[in-house]
Amino acid sequence: MRIGVEINGHVYEGDVEPRTLLSDFIRHTAGLTGTKVGCEQGVCGACTVQLDGEAVRSCLMLAVQANGRSLTTVEGLSGDGELHPLQRAFHEAHALQCGFCTPGFLMSMEAFIREHPDAGEDELREALAGNLCRCTGYLGIVEAVNRAAREMSVGNVQRD
Amino acid sequence: MGALAGRPLRRREDERILRGRTRYLDDIDPPGAAHVAFVRSPFAHARIGAIDVPEEIEGVVAVISAAELEGRAADLPVQGFEGGEVSTEGHPVLARGEVRYAGQPVAAVLAESRAAAEDGAELVEVDYDPLEAVLEARGSEVTMTRWHRVSGDVERAFESAAHVTRARHSLPRLAPVPMEPRGAIASYDEAEDMLTVWVSAQDSHRQLAGLAKVLDRPEESIHVIVPDVGGAFGSKGAPAPETMLVAAAAIATGRTVKWAEDREENFVASYQGRGVEAEVELALDANGTMLAVRARIWADLGGYLMPTTAIPSHTTAMLMCGVYDIRAADVQVEGRRTNKVPTGPYRGAGRPEAAYFLECTVDAAARELGIDPLELRRRNLVREFPYETALGWTYDSGDYARCLELAEELVKPERHDDDARVVGTGFGMYVERAGGMFESADAELLPDGRVLVRSGSSPHGQGHDTTFAQLAADRLGIAMEDVELRFGDSKEVPRGAGTFASRSVAMGGSAVVQAVDVLKEKIAAVSAGRAMSLREVAEAEPGIRASARFESDLVFSSGAYGAVVEIDRATGRLRVLRLAAVDDAGTIVNPLLAEGQVIGGSAQGLGQCLVEEALYDEEGNPTFASFVGYSLLTAAEMPPVETAFVESPSPLNPLGAKGIGEGGAIGTPAAVANAVADALGGVWVDPPFTDAKLWRALREASG
Amino acid sequence: MKPAAFDYRAPASVDEALPLLGLDSAVLAGGQSLVPLLNLRLARPELVVDVNGIAELDYIHADDGVLRIGALTRQVTLERSELVATRWPLLTKAVRLVGHAQIRTRGTVGGSVAHADPAAELPAALIALGARIHLRSPRRARAISASEFFLGPLHTAREPDELLVEVEVPEPPEGAGSGFAEHARTHGDFATAGAAAVVAAGHAGIALLGAGPVPVRAEAAERALAGGAEPGEAATLAAQGVDDEHRRALCTELARRAIEEALG
Repeated sequence: MRIGVEINGHVYEGDVEPRTLLSDFIRHTAGLTGTKVGCEQGVCGACTVQLDGEAVRSCLMLAVQANGRSLTTVEGLSGDGELHPLQRAFHEAHALQCGFCTPGFLMSMEAFIREHPDAGEDELREALAGNLCRCTGYLGIVEAVNRAAREMSVGNVQRD
Repeated sequence: MGALAGRPLRRREDERILRGRTRYLDDIDPPGAAHVAFVRSPFAHARIGAIDVPEEIEGVVAVISAAELEGRAADLPVQGFEGGEVSTEGHPVLARGEVRYAGQPVAAVLAESRAAAEDGAELVEVDYDPLEAVLEARGSEVTMTRWHRVSGDVERAFESAAHVTRARHSLPRLAPVPMEPRGAIASYDEAEDMLTVWVSAQDSHRQLAGLAKVLDRPEESIHVIVPDVGGAFGSKGAPAPETMLVAAAAIATGRTVKWAEDREENFVASYQGRGVEAEVELALDANGTMLAVRARIWADLGGYLMPTTAIPSHTTAMLMCGVYDIRAADVQVEGRRTNKVPTGPYRGAGRPEAAYFLECTVDAAARELGIDPLELRRRNLVREFPYETALGWTYDSGDYARCLELAEELVKPERHDDDARVVGTGFGMYVERAGGMFESADAELLPDGRVLVRSGSSPHGQGHDTTFAQLAADRLGIAMEDVELRFGDSKEVPRGAGTFASRSVAMGGSAVVQAVDVLKEKIAAVSAGRAMSLREVAEAEPGIRASARFESDLVFSSGAYGAVVEIDRATGRLRVLRLAAVDDAGTIVNPLLAEGQVIGGSAQGLGQCLVEEALYDEEGNPTFASFVGYSLLTAAEMPPVETAFVESPSPLNPLGAKGIGEGGAIGTPAAVANAVADALGGVWVDPPFTDAKLWRALREASG
Repeated sequence: MKPAAFDYRAPASVDEALPLLGLDSAVLAGGQSLVPLLNLRLARPELVVDVNGIAELDYIHADDGVLRIGALTRQVTLERSELVATRWPLLTKAVRLVGHAQIRTRGTVGGSVAHADPAAELPAALIALGARIHLRSPRRARAISASEFFLGPLHTAREPDELLVEVEVPEPPEGAGSGFAEHARTHGDFATAGAAAVVAAGHAGIALLGAGPVPVRAEAAERALAGGAEPGEAATLAAQGVDDEHRRALCTELARRAIEEALG
């Protein structure tokens, strides 16, 4: 089946089987390997992308389901421009080590903070529970999202 | 140290990660590659008869079993340890006549896509004749490793002791679960007779040595490239049978071959950690002075010795005197075969087990003697260094008393109970071995005046690029931006030992510093007293290069961890309220990154305490083949962690550095276990501290 | 693993979907439960019927004191519904605990009910509320009470040729309070046990999950509570059928917490 999916503002076309996962389409057909695959069970969150601005597990969608839809992946968070406040906060708080889980966290939390600008630390921690990290022990990530949430609510950042 | 080393600098590595510009193994898509799916044993133990492959399967390029590997691939090598017995029988690349654990690779299917390879794998019929499975180490009749050391008059110490404390403990197996599973890509150029292998690994060196040995090829004919690696924690150190298969298949078929492990495979077939039981006896005099320790340790090693399976339990045995001045010891370890996936190094690799077994026994002794557990420790700590232990290792430096003092201060002990909950505090101390062997580095002055350092160390998240740049830039008196680091490509970097055993700063960093020092001398020889910029020196003499190979004995990190825990009476639910982590890893080059290692290690230690255990059912089937059966902690479970570093420099390297990568995983379980025992009023349970276990223990404790 | 191959259809209406259902087909709604099974090859349908295009099944409205939720309503939509939060707050409390936000963005109410994971929150909440499940097949339309719908782990009264189309929830009595308590190994993980409670004067709806192979109505506890028993007593009654000592204690405690929350 031939499908076309808009990712970060550009339409990628490709031939897929019904069983082709969206995560594989993004990574191997569109060639956008910033999105990672960690479990194909929807638990680890490494494959999280945004579908019309909402965070979803790309490993739990079939590519055909994204035909004609619009996605954002980590490559689209800041393009070639200045880092998004969330990306900067991760860097400053040493919230990444091996980096494999990082794109999934960014896409999950960008959506969450945008939708819940007044979230306190407890809510942020619960939201973070949807992504697994094996390297950092999370405390740096918690610090990063706290910082970013404050900055984003003050600056009222709009995404392109 | 200069202006940069010792500073909590943020990482240069981060930007490309944050922008999604990384290249881990599965991000590499060689056009026209054949993809591998493995046929894996569904049985814990079985004889293999015929392997039947349908003539033509759509999309399938080849099916490989042990028969096709005859003469092409030997079994994986086995690394032993000194002073004991280690079987030399290694893990076959593909099962030959017999499978010894569920998930063991039996055949490999190559196809045009992973999905097609899996379709093909379903059509391969293997004639299994199931055999009885042995699932308990102590019940196994096959001993694969053995080590026993007696030092000092142990018999007399126990006879004359005013008190003997006995404890039995067991630590279940754990799965390392790096977020990136394993993987390998191989390509063979017949004209050049060059085998190129990309592999998600802890370093290129051990992969290369393993490939050379298993495939019986000269090392010069193998090129190993380690791309970005998404975590390893010990599980990607020893070469995997699957990697060998990928390489052999590339040579046999002439295709580029790719294997990207999925999560189910990673759970089932990647070697596991821990899986050890111990009986410990501690002899003390009336003042609480420790006279002797006896320990009997059984390790559940799994079906085969993978290259490094024998190592962790031997390390445990070597550290059974811990941080204490115990002059007599009788320690024995036996590694038994079971029908489970092999074990191997997993963050801590033997040291968490030693700390756990010993520290729980020490707390039990304190309780039995009526002495405060911290006071009992203080009466017995090693205080003078270097210190040669009764078991054979020499601790280079340390300040154990200071670590303990700080841990107590930082954790703010708390102890109380009411109808709803009970709160306890516990401590655990550790000493662990790091570094050792050798490491290499090469420093080159580039035409533009920048310096290129090639290191034998290999990062998988630790931040070596930043840390080594700090060291090199300091040494040269230049900006960090003018230092470039290269890792992971066997044709680029000098042959080294690799990244494991928390060795990178102590060994890799020292090699970098030594190489840079030699480079400085060469630069000085060119400038001969004139004020020349590095660029000018490069113009005057292009290609100045220096290399170093740094060797050292083991260095010994140490620490004291404290934990305050709360148990909910109604449900048995454990909450760790706070953790204090005091580590002495010698000189700290980048405190921000070092703290990241401590917290990351502590999270894994907490995982072991709260939710992690890799269990097989009565038939030897893994119950942990997905995240439904094996849990990892999330951000919502992490308690506050207070960290502090005591810096007792090591005399064994120019940096005074030791290892910080594993302390969190080593100190945490002992501290939490003792805190739980404290909350339960002196009842010890083994991890994971599940609701059911604690609820039952509370009922028993209250009578 | 990658899924085994299947055919794929995406009907645009219920009438178009119905003839496609059967033993060899699987309904793909949110995909949060089906796709993991496909990715382990534990589910191997010949045909996947993607119902996400059936807009007529995506609704939440209340008529005459009855809440009607279309099967395709996303869990996040239920979570954000003011109507539901005001008049059926137990559902809001329950759905908020389903997995993580990313799961709820795609997961559907109908999907969760039809999948019938014994650890799922919505089935227990629906039982406590006395909900009915509406099914349609080419042959007929019917409704079953939620407490009779769940037959075993991942097994419901839905026939292979039936599509779950709506969940119907009567309004709790005036002044009713609600509570939901659960226990999981980690946040967002499958619940090991949980309790849903709706309590008003003379009325109680209590359901437990994790107390057995299916979520169960705690009828004895409901009667006791409606008759004026203390929360602790009612909770003990709710969990009395649970074999394992610790699990019974856990269920009792969670039932107590849910009841106390409902009592405010």
